[in-house]
Amino acid sequence: MITEKRRSGLKNFMNRNETVGYVFAFPFIFGFICFSLIPILTSFYYAFTDFSMGSKTVEFVGGRNFGQLFTDEIFTKSLGITLKYVFISVPMKLTFALLVAFLLTRKTRLQVLYRSLYYVPSLVGGSIAVALVWKQLFARKGLINSILTQAGLSSINWFGDRKLALYPLILMSVWQFGSSMIIFAAGLKEIPSTYYEAARIDGANGMQSFFRITLPCLSPIILYNLVMQTIQAFMAFTQAFVITAGGPDNGTMMYALYVYNQAFKYNNMGYACAMSWFMLAVMSVITVVIFRTSKFWVFSEAGD
Amino acid sequence: MFKKFLATVLSASLIMGLCACSGASSETAAGSAPAADGSAVEAAGDTAGEEKVTETAAAETEKEEESAESAEPVTLRMAWWGSQTRHDITVAAIELYEQEHPNVTIEYEFFDFDNYFTKLKTLVASDQVWDIFQLGGNFPEYIDKICYMNEFIDSGLIDVSDIPETYLKITQDTAGNQIGLSNGLNTYGIAYDVDMFNEAGVPLPAENWTWDDYKDAALKISEATGHFGSSGLASSEFIAGCSTYIGQQGSVGQYGFFNLDLTGMGFEDAQMLTPYIQMRADLIKAGASPDAGAEMEITNIENDFLVTGEAGMTWVAVNQFPTIYDICKEEGRTLALATIPRVKPDGPAGAVIQSSQMLCVSKDSQYKEEAAKFIAWFQTSVECNKILNGERGIPVADSVRAALEENLTEGQQIMYDYVSLVGTFETPEKVNVLSPDGQDQVVDNYRNYIQQVVSGEITAEEAADKTYADAKAIFQ
Repeated sequence: MITEKRRSGLKNFMNRNETVGYVFAFPFIFGFICFSLIPILTSFYYAFTDFSMGSKTVEFVGGRNFGQLFTDEIFTKSLGITLKYVFISVPMKLTFALLVAFLLTRKTRLQVLYRSLYYVPSLVGGSIAVALVWKQLFARKGLINSILTQAGLSSINWFGDRKLALYPLILMSVWQFGSSMIIFAAGLKEIPSTYYEAARIDGANGMQSFFRITLPCLSPIILYNLVMQTIQAFMAFTQAFVITAGGPDNGTMMYALYVYNQAFKYNNMGYACAMSWFMLAVMSVITVVIFRTSKFWVFSEAGD
Repeated sequence: MFKKFLATVLSASLIMGLCACSGASSETAAGSAPAADGSAVEAAGDTAGEEKVTETAAAETEKEEESAESAEPVTLRMAWWGSQTRHDITVAAIELYEQEHPNVTIEYEFFDFDNYFTKLKTLVASDQVWDIFQLGGNFPEYIDKICYMNEFIDSGLIDVSDIPETYLKITQDTAGNQIGLSNGLNTYGIAYDVDMFNEAGVPLPAENWTWDDYKDAALKISEATGHFGSSGLASSEFIAGCSTYIGQQGSVGQYGFFNLDLTGMGFEDAQMLTPYIQMRADLIKAGASPDAGAEMEITNIENDFLVTGEAGMTWVAVNQFPTIYDICKEEGRTLALATIPRVKPDGPAGAVIQSSQMLCVSKDSQYKEEAAKFIAWFQTSVECNKILNGERGIPVADSVRAALEENLTEGQQIMYDYVSLVGTFETPEKVNVLSPDGQDQVVDNYRNYIQQVVSGEITAEEAADKTYADAKAIFQ
């Protein structure tokens, strides 16, 4: 009797929607807890210790790591460089993505092909291989410089000049505009064509309908892309690591690269953790600012 | 119905997965319990041991009797850094060992220098350091993970009688602990392109040439050929140049960059660095040495600008010389080796013959004895070293060195002659060729300071002060 009851209880339990849901969500929950949540919490603890990968003893040092941030020249430098990278690359990338998405809304038979082609850099862009190609392109005797010399200009030492070295990296990030472009393209499709027809009847030209119809209707999507790309840009690592290793004279020392160096090269994991948490604060502030200002420029059809 | 089935299967497989994991780790811990120094706790975290697990339990009992001749299947993990040539020959040597010892399987990984140490640091943190791993003068940082080889030598497990006492010493610490066995003798030098010197009308470097001669040669070569006068891997430059420069001042052995027991600086006056930093900056400014951008294009010695024909000289650890000599010879160019320039022609040479790298046994290893046996074979077997061919430096074992000397290539002959030449230089009784933990950051900053001198942001004097302060901060 009892076992019978229990069995049917188990049966019921296994058949409940929640159970099935949790079983299917288990891989994610497991991964999230083990590979995100726990490391995040431990890194918060390590930020207040002198933990290094080589030694087994961990000593609590209070806020010393955070205090050290403000006396560290390279830290200040890397923060400045990362902000510059974000403020230049994100607007350029979004403009470019929107432009290409807009051009590709015109119905041609090759539309799908073009979209896929422009999306390819985003797929491969984060990889080491592309970074190596980029390094070769801008090398002293690379393609870019041979084109320049062929055209009668003098060649440019891209990665040898502290002031120049960041721009090839920015360009590489702009080149990976594909994912924003796809999202823009989807957004453009959602804008009812009746708006454009009405505007045309009223005598609006292409420019006017772009700025008066397309941009406002697309603004929620621009906001989304802006936030996502800003966060992504703050985390830029691969290009700087592979192409310049942060040089010359720390001219491309991205924040994430400096965190990596401190953690794995200089053996200051505790300090690196403190830096990561500081970056989280900076990114949060900037994201909040974007959201707060958004009510001035994001147009919501339902609102008014 | 299908949903139910799927859910059951999924949850069942998850549960089984969990069981399998916990089963494996407990077995590993049990298997490693009899390990020599009671490292059971460390070994418990060794997930890479999963394939070994099944055999371990049974095998350990056998091991207690005498493991020397047992056919117990053993899997050793090994890693090293180096160039493609080294990877190829090391893999060939490993295959030979596996043939001779069918019970041993060696899983190997290889890296370039920087990535090797990044990987090693993560393995140190997770107590999973390779059974056999390569280390250089930076071993103090990893000393907690190194199993000293004294016990294996004393117990007669490995026979190192073929290696002279002096060469065993180069991989011992001051307390006499055998950190590892040396891969070969090595020293730094400057490889140069003879034709480029002639083309520029610069006299070939004499045995006791000075830094002024060096600078002069670099400038003239770059002027006459449009190439770099002197190129070089950034990682070699600090030790071969900057650090040697300190040792060359005063009387023999008076100064060193760091002190002998690696607890502080080996010199007092930061300004001793200034002339060297000024010279480096001048060469870069004049286009006679690669700037930071060009330097990034050199990834290993095989694509150094000297090898590609775009530079007249470069720093080398001399074990690298035969390889690049052969590459250049194929292209019809002749390379030669010069000594590291001196501060004064009659002053100390500052050069030291040292161990290129060594192979160490890891404390995390389950098979420390097997690892030690492989290392001893690697350093003393003539067959093995015929494959390795002195690529890691001049072998330390007498019989091996004798066997290889019979048919040296031209490049190797030059290297052998060079090392015996450096051996005749007056050297201090005790030298310190080790790097303290934290040196990486000092070197990175030092290179940035030089670039700041080039761009005129700071003076060479300030760069010297900053470098000295950075280095001193390691010990605080």
